[in-house]
Parts: sequence; structure tokens; C-alpha cells
Amino acid sequence: MKKMTLNFFLNDEPVSLEIDENARLLDVIRDVAGLTGTKEGCGVGECGACTVVLEGESVDSCIVLAASVEGKHVMTVEGLSKSGQLDPIQQAVLDHHALQCGFCTPGFLMSAKALLDKNSNPTRDEIKMAIAGNLCRCTGYQQLVEAFEDAAKQYQAR
Amino acid sequence: MPLLGEMKKNYRVLNQSKPRIDGVDKVTGRAHYAADLKFVDMVYGGCLRSGRSHAKVVKMDTSKAKSIPGVLAVVTADDMPKPKSCAGNAPYMYLTNEVKYAGDVVAIVCAETKPLVAEALAAIEVEYEDLPGVYTIRDAIKPGAPAVHPQYPDNVFTDSLYPIRKGDVEQGFAQADLIIEREYETQYIEHSYIEPEAVVCIQNPADGVMTVHSSSQNPFFTRRYVADVLGVGMNEVRVFQETLGGSFGGKEEGVGMVAARCAYLCRLVGRPVKMTFSREESFLESAKRHPFLLRYKAGVMKDGRIVAWEGTQIDNCGAYNNQTQFMNSRASIHSCGAYTIPNVKTDTYGVFTNNIHGGAMRGYSSPQLLWGQEQFIEEIAEELGMAPLEFRRINCLKDGTTNATGTVLDHVNIQEIMDYTTAKTDYQSKREAYKAQTSTKKRKGIGLAIAHRGCGLGAESPDASGAMAIANEDGSVLINTGLAENGQGLKTAFAQIAAEAIGVPYETIRFYGTDTQAIADSGMTVASRGTVMGAQSTRKVGFKLNEIMRANAVALGFFKDQAQVKGPEDIVLEDGFFHSVKQPETKVAFKDVCNASLWSGRQMAAYEWFMPPACIQDHHTGQGVAFPNYAYGCVVAEIEVDMETGYVDVQKVTASHDVGTAINPALVLGQIYGGILMGQGYAVTEEVEVSNGKVRNQNFENYIIPTAADMPEMDVNIFECDDDRGTFGAKSIGEPATEVVGAAIANAIYNATGKRIRENPANLERVLLGKKLR
Amino acid sequence: MQKLSYLKPESLQQALEYLNQYNAKVKPYAGGTDLMVQLREGSSRLKDVEYLMDLQDIAELRGIEVKDDCISIGAMTSHTQVNESEVLRRYVPFLSVASSTVGSTQIRNKGTVGGNICNASPAADTLSPFVSLNARLTVVSVDGAREVMVKDAMEKAGKLKLAANEMVTRIVIDRLDGYETAFIKLGRRKALAISRMNAAVAVKLEGGVIADVRIAPGCVFATPDRVECAEALVKGKAPSAALFEEAGKAVSEEMIKRTGIRWSTEYKKPVVEALVQRALCRACGLPED
Repeated sequence: MKKMTLNFFLNDEPVSLEIDENARLLDVIRDVAGLTGTKEGCGVGECGACTVVLEGESVDSCIVLAASVEGKHVMTVEGLSKSGQLDPIQQAVLDHHALQCGFCTPGFLMSAKALLDKNSNPTRDEIKMAIAGNLCRCTGYQQLVEAFEDAAKQYQAR
Repeated sequence: MPLLGEMKKNYRVLNQSKPRIDGVDKVTGRAHYAADLKFVDMVYGGCLRSGRSHAKVVKMDTSKAKSIPGVLAVVTADDMPKPKSCAGNAPYMYLTNEVKYAGDVVAIVCAETKPLVAEALAAIEVEYEDLPGVYTIRDAIKPGAPAVHPQYPDNVFTDSLYPIRKGDVEQGFAQADLIIEREYETQYIEHSYIEPEAVVCIQNPADGVMTVHSSSQNPFFTRRYVADVLGVGMNEVRVFQETLGGSFGGKEEGVGMVAARCAYLCRLVGRPVKMTFSREESFLESAKRHPFLLRYKAGVMKDGRIVAWEGTQIDNCGAYNNQTQFMNSRASIHSCGAYTIPNVKTDTYGVFTNNIHGGAMRGYSSPQLLWGQEQFIEEIAEELGMAPLEFRRINCLKDGTTNATGTVLDHVNIQEIMDYTTAKTDYQSKREAYKAQTSTKKRKGIGLAIAHRGCGLGAESPDASGAMAIANEDGSVLINTGLAENGQGLKTAFAQIAAEAIGVPYETIRFYGTDTQAIADSGMTVASRGTVMGAQSTRKVGFKLNEIMRANAVALGFFKDQAQVKGPEDIVLEDGFFHSVKQPETKVAFKDVCNASLWSGRQMAAYEWFMPPACIQDHHTGQGVAFPNYAYGCVVAEIEVDMETGYVDVQKVTASHDVGTAINPALVLGQIYGGILMGQGYAVTEEVEVSNGKVRNQNFENYIIPTAADMPEMDVNIFECDDDRGTFGAKSIGEPATEVVGAAIANAIYNATGKRIRENPANLERVLLGKKLR
Repeated sequence: MQKLSYLKPESLQQALEYLNQYNAKVKPYAGGTDLMVQLREGSSRLKDVEYLMDLQDIAELRGIEVKDDCISIGAMTSHTQVNESEVLRRYVPFLSVASSTVGSTQIRNKGTVGGNICNASPAADTLSPFVSLNARLTVVSVDGAREVMVKDAMEKAGKLKLAANEMVTRIVIDRLDGYETAFIKLGRRKALAISRMNAAVAVKLEGGVIADVRIAPGCVFATPDRVECAEALVKGKAPSAALFEEAGKAVSEEMIKRTGIRWSTEYKKPVVEALVQRALCRACGLPED
């Protein structure tokens, strides 16, 4: 497999990684950069467990060609909390018990992050649509939606 | 019976929505799931599946695969000393040359990288001879059908036959004013946990112990398969349950199979091996919810009393047996629903087919049965010209009545829950109004369903468990038990139970998870038993540690100034402080007693075993005590049907459940919300489509589970009661939360359309055309 | 996944040269949302591919330009950008609606209109609005440019009629001033759903009469198309539920004429009738139920 050097910003840090030219962004994040908070659930962009924020937009990293993010900013769940301080989205998910097995949680957090950075005053329907590409089999979504409504208030106050 | 909060339970740690023990790890991405692990020198394993439903391997050539540089091993059934697993009468195959379903594995490989594994699998050449197969329940029981297992020539899994014989059903039918018969059929559905199966194995080169890091619902269960395939003692296998990404009954045998194959490769190549399933492999090899063919016949009196009930409940086991007999035990016990009927005769049994296999899945037969029974009840009421609510009131279980097993019940609150829920939703008047709709575009519907559910394992198998509690010198406490966190919040609930029993703050307790070399097998974390029965030993050990530490406090002289304190019985430990009964304001810190205990060599740990009173049924009649007690629930679903497309829009679900004691109300809510969505998928969109054993949908693009956009408005009502047979009075909720939702939706569809859906699910085509399109 | 090399042309000219040099060995990578899935499953349609050509830096493939009688949309415009575009919302709102129903937010952020068309799935959500907008593709190669109607572009499911050295740079659509439009999609759930069927319509009302109309059902023909007999049926008449019911029937008759009676016809016939009727009612402001 042909290798290439990929330079991009991972959680605001510039990184330079040796990758396969046909690698998926998900594999680069997990196996090359070693950040395993981003999960693989389906491999076909349906479950959203691999969601990361690419240049401010949520994307399924299992169907993004890693080479295509040269020079761009990618944020994973590991980049949410700053110096030990949880992001309001993370705190709200804890406060609302909006997780169970937790496997889909990082993906939900990243979808919510992309939404609230763009629109800190979303309607309940806008929240639902923003996370409709993230499947969760445990929670029934109710506490997640409530958590993101709560987090939105924190984002508005910032 | 009161709603949550109305009943004063006086707990200090329970009845509170404490934060999850594993919450911070899970929101930061730190939590490690099995697929996240990486070890030095680690290599990868993979499985070659036949894709055939029934076939014989005629020839297999692995030489090309073996010659690829970086491929470390290729193993077939011929190479493996024990390719047949230890699982009972029709056991799974770790590897096989006789393919019985599309997920069977004919070879495994090990290679340096994941791409090399794929390359090696593609390079294995296999020649098959296809054999005639049998795929549906109806075909399997036809005379002369091909036999899936020679030991079951007519495909009936005789060991899974559970009869109920109560009263005299012939006499009941003879007296009945009206006799009604119906047939219902349910589908395969997939657990759809978001984490696919994953295992990493490492063998210690010195002592040979095989360590398995796995996504197991039940680590001890996984250990059994690994020891079996390796031919070693169970004490030579150590299974760590890594953070589990959902299971719902699905990561039992399936993960046992992966772990066994992975451990075999690990020992063969002498390096750590990781094996993970793709979503497609997970669909193919993990168990599904058993499809059931349900035939019911009821005899009723004009006044609404059901006097006779006969039923045949046949489930499709698929190619191998996966707990079918245990599940059918539960299915027989619940074979006439939450109703008291004097004469009952039902038979429940499984049949083998060349399909993916049915197995445990949240409900363990109840979602299927209730989906049929609760529609049948309404069909009977309609024939009688009686409102279904009134008909249920007449026949539902009450204190002093008996269910199918003849057990006399107490603490029965189902009618109260049903009356509360139907009043709150204005069920009666909506139902009447919706019945009169004539629109050809959109119609609303409201549906009701009720259930009772035996708590824990009951007579299925012993509901025993063991637990350990260790106090440390700083006053922190470790607890350990063989029960496992599956995402439901077990560690959190157990920590609350331990804190309550010991008398320390919740925050001082830690429960790190299951390691099979650190604690005894406590049975599986299944059957909604974790909190209800599995935590009994945790409660017991908590009380024991409380007693030990009170004795230490007195013996170490912490109360020497209080003359009235003669012994441990004169002091209490609560919220992390000791004080005497007479002088509560003088407090002694738990941590001070811990510290002094350590340095004076006193016991500060305990292990306790809990064995519940026996549940014994007569196997020929099913009569006897099947469960210590039952949980009761009622769901009302409100929907809108698009009469022109068949689209069912689930708009509101009101769910009311008797949980005995809500150990952690937020966790209870989470169980119920999640259960509602799973029930909605079951009733409306979900079906693993099999055609002659081949699985059409193997990933989430065409296996349709509800998204956040599909979430209905949910109104959850939590009831408590003073039945104290579960841990601190708790009853099951994980499975009750989902089991009756599908039935309520099915009844709502009938209310809207006037057409019964007797084959699940009510997808677009079935609702519009009344049948499956193909 | 198959072994592939990565190309990232900096200009359209360079991209066209790569195509000319490698022909079928090079596959343009737009949003990747379909391509990456096909690579994962080892799709036979990619068996000859050796290079992925990333189109993100090519300016000619970007932007939405409004002209006097048409709108030109760069092939690399994402579904999210289409959905959020003020001009598209103003002139062709049903295209905006259709793009909002594609997959999920994550898919819409990456997936492009060009990719959606070039992937040539008959179930693509944007096809029916595009067809009703008489969309044409600007197809370019080193030899020059040509235009192909979207409705004529598909050879069969999964394959466009493009030469190996050609690529789609823009999609040009009619500007529908004074039209009311509607897009209705039937999926198996409310999000993350493939169209079971859909319908896109545009109606121009003048003096209470339908002066012009476009009717394009989705997922009913082998290749997407408008249904002219249904359009002719309603043109010049006053909108009514009864008239639109007739239009729906004309569409279903056309479906059966073109595809024959199939196993799914029993379901699709009544449903496409209902969707077309509803879409026309919605566009004309008539009640749908």
C-alpha cells in the first residue's frame, strides 16, 4: 500500500501522520493517532458512532477518505474537554443520565457540538434532526434531547 | 399503590438519581471497549463464513492463503481438535465442514494486519455441495422435512417442550358461550447494539493463562467456551469484561464463539490476537429474537369471563440451540398473559431450521407472546361486544388469583396501573372516537396492552449470586460481584445498594467490573435479574460489612466514653459515620475506624452468597411456584396511520410500570425510554429478512431501527410498592420496559384502520396491503 | 479495501488530464458518502479503479450562480449547502426540501449533488426535483464540454452515460419564477431513510388555472423522468383534489407501461398515485387530507 504523509489539525494540535493513501479517517484517528474515543459501529455511515467535527461540520469518519482532510481541522471527543474541564455538552449528558452503554455517546456529543457551535438556540426538532444520524439502542433518545437543550442554554450564556 | 415519591421508603442512598459511576469515562472517550485495546506484537484474526444455508464442504484449499507473507495461520475444522462447542444438545460449531446456516464459519485466519486478514480470507478456496434445507416453522414441522440435526429427525427440539396443564380445558370449552381461535406470527429482529462484537486474547508465556478482554454480556459464559476450545481448566482462562457497548441478550453465545476462535489463534501463533466483527458479521452470527408462531383458542362466557385457554407457541430456533429451552420455560409460564383463567392448556416448543438462530433478546419470549396475546384479548372482547378495557378488568390478575402456573399471587397492582394509565390518556373516549373515523388519508389510533412478568430467573435456573465488599484504610470501599455492567447502569445501582446497606455515602463506593479470576460466577446478567436478585448478595455483604465495622468500632474503643454502648448493636453506621443510638450527635468517622482496623489487623472485608427460596414447578403440568414475584406494566400507544401509504407514525407512548423500588429513578427512566423505542421498532419497522436462510439486510442502511426523529412523546409513570422480595424491594424493569410496547402499537393500528396485523411488523406494505410484499 | 492511490488535482485542467490519462482507472472522489461504502463492500463497479481523485480544490465545481433563466450549481455543492442556500430556497424550494431529506446531517454535510447524480441510484432523493427542473449536466473532458439532460444521463442503475475521460462539473436547472413547488418523500422512518418513493412537482398558476406544471415521481422508473401525460392532463385546468387524483392515476399507468407489473406494483401503484396527488395539492395550497 502506498504511504503518504498527512498533515492536519487534530483537536487543535497540528499532527503529521504516515498513512495509507486509501485509509479512512476513522482508522487514522483510532489506529494511527491512537484516539479510540471515536467508535466504529457500522462502517457505512449509518450509525454515527464515528462522528467527528470536520471544519465545523459533523461527518461520519468511516466514510471520509483520510487523505482529503489535509490542512483541515478535525475534532474528536477527546478534544471536547479543555484542561480537565468538561464541555457543557458533556456535563449535560452526565446530568441528564443521557447515556447507558456509552458506545454511541462520543458520536452524539460531536453531532451536538457541531449543532450548538452553529446554532446555540435550536428548537427541539432541530436537535432531533441534528442527532438523527446517530443511532442509540439504549436510551430512546429522550434524555439526550433534554441534555442538549440544557447544553444549548450554557452555550447561549457563553 | 403509589407513584414514585408518594410512598415513604426512607432510604438514604436509594430512590435517588445518583450520577453514573462510569459517566465521566464515557463522555470523555476514555472508556475502553474491547476493540479499543492494543498490545505490543498484536495481530488480527478473522472468520470465513460459508454464506450457504445448508451445505457440505467438499474441498477446501488453504495453501494460497497460507503462502501470503504476513499470514500467520489458517485453521479449518479438520485442524481443530474440538470444533464442536460445549453448548448443549445442538451445539454451535467453532468451525465446521457441515454448514447449517449462512453464518457458520468454515475457516479462521490470523495475520499481521487487518487488510492481510481480508486478503487471506479471500484466498481460501472452498467447494461446497448444497443440501436441501428447511427455513420456516411451518415447513420444519411438515412430515418428511429435511432434518437439520439427525438427533431431532422431525426438527422438533423436544428438550424445549414446556407444557402447562391447569384445570380441565375440555370442560372449560364445553361450558363456554363462545370459542375463538386466532394465529399470530412474529419475525426475527436484531439486538442492534451499536458496538459490534470484539475480543482480544493474550496468553501469558510463563503460566499459560489465557487472558481474554471481551465485549461479553456474561464473562463467565465466555470463559466456558474458551476453556472448552483450548481443552484447559477454567482456572487457566481469565476473562475481563471490557466496557460493553450494549448487548440486550445478544453478546452471550456469540461472543463466546469469537472468544474461543480468537483464543485458539492466540495460542497457535503465540502473540496477542484481536478479533472484531464487522456489522455484517454481527448480523449473521449473533442470535436474534426468536420468531414465534402463536396459535390461541379461548372459551369465554357472555359475562366476559375467560373459562378456557389453549395455545401452541412454536419458536424458530434456527440452526443451533441458543437457550430455547430456558426461554420456552418463561414462555409457558406467561402463556395466557396477565389473566387468571381456570382452565389452561398450552404447549411451547422450538423447531430447528437452517436459519440464523434465535436467542436471548430483551424480553426472552415476552415481546412475541404479548404481541399475539394482547391482540387476541381484544379480538375476543370484540366478538363478545365488550370494551377491551372492561374485558381486561374482568380477567386480569388480582390479589389471590392464579396465573398459568397456578401460583396464588399477592401485591398485584395491574388493574390499578391500567386504570390510572387509561384515565390519564383518556383512552376510552379516544378509542371510541377513533373507531368512527372514515378518512381515507390519515387516521388516529390508540392502543392498550398490559403485562405481568416473573422477576429474575425464577424456576428457569438458580437465581443465586455472590458479592464481596472491601473497606480500605481511607474509608473508600470496593465492591465486586460476578454480575456484569451491560450499559444499563448496574455498577451504579449496585454501588447505591452497597452504600445503603453498609451505611456509607455513594461516592465512597467503586465497582470496577468483572474479572473471572477475582470473583465467583454469579450466573448471567440476564432476565432483568441484575438489580432485583443479583444484587441481593451485594445487599447482604453490605449488611455484613456494616456489622463487622460496627464491631470493630466498639472493639477499638471509639465508643469507650459512652457507657451505654455495650456492643455493636448499640451503635449505627450511616452516611459514613458511626454514632450510638442514644447519643446521635457524637459522630465517629468511618474512615477513622477503617484506618484503625487495618493497623490492628481486623477484618474489613466480607464475601456473602445469596440463595433465594427455591421455585419449583411440575415439568409435566407447569404448576407450582415459577417466580418469587411479578412486575406489572401497562402501555398506551397513540399513533397516526397514513391510510394511503401504510406509514405508522407513533406519536405518543404512555408507559406505567411497577418497579417495586426505584433504586435510581433516572436509570429507571432510561430503561423505559429505551424500551419504548425498541418496542416501537419491533412493531413497525424491524425485521431481519431471511429468504431460504440468506439474510437480506445485514447493516443499518436497511435494518431500520428508530432514530431520534422517530421518537414519540413519552410519558412514563413509575409505580412503587411494598413487596420486599427483590433487593430493597426492587422489581425487574429492563425487559418490562419493552415487552408490551409492540402489542399496544398493534392494537392502536387496529383502532385506526379496523384491520388486524397478525404478522409482525406493521411495515408500510403490511399496513396498506394486509400482507408482506415478498 | 482495495489498494488505491490518491490524486488531488489543483485545477479543472489537471483533473481532466488525469481522467484522460487514466480513464476508468481513476474515480472522482466528491463527498465519498457512496464511494467509500462501495469500496468497503468491494463493489464490482470499482474493480478497475486504481486512483481516487479528490475534487475538493477545483473552483469550477463550486458555487451556486443565478442567471436570468437558469441556476448553475457546482457539482461539489453539498446537500447542506443546497438546503441552506437562500437563492435555491427562493427559486426552487422543493430542491431545498429534497436535499434536507437525504440521509443524515453527517451525510448531507459530505454528500454532494454531483455525487448524488453520478452515483446513479434511482432512489437518490434529489433526482426527481432535478428532473422536474429540466436539469442538465455540464460534462467536460480535455476535448471540450457538452450538456446532457439528467433524465437522459443514466444508462442504468449505477451507471451514467459518460465517456471514461469525462466528468460532471455543474448542474444547470431552470429558474422557476412564479412556480409553487412540493417534494414529498415516503421513507420507512423520519430520518436516515432511503426513499421508498417520492414525488416532486412544480406548478405555475395563472388566473386560477394551471398554466404550467412539472411532475416527476421518484423511484418508480428505471431512470428518472417527468410524466408528460400527467402534466398534459392537468394543464389549463383549475386545481382540485379530484383533478390531481387523475394525475396520480396517469403517473401510475405510465409506471406500469414502462416497467410492467412487478412484484412491488401492488404497493407502488396506489402509493405513487397518493404521493403525486398530495404533492400537487401541497403545491397548490389545497388540503392534503
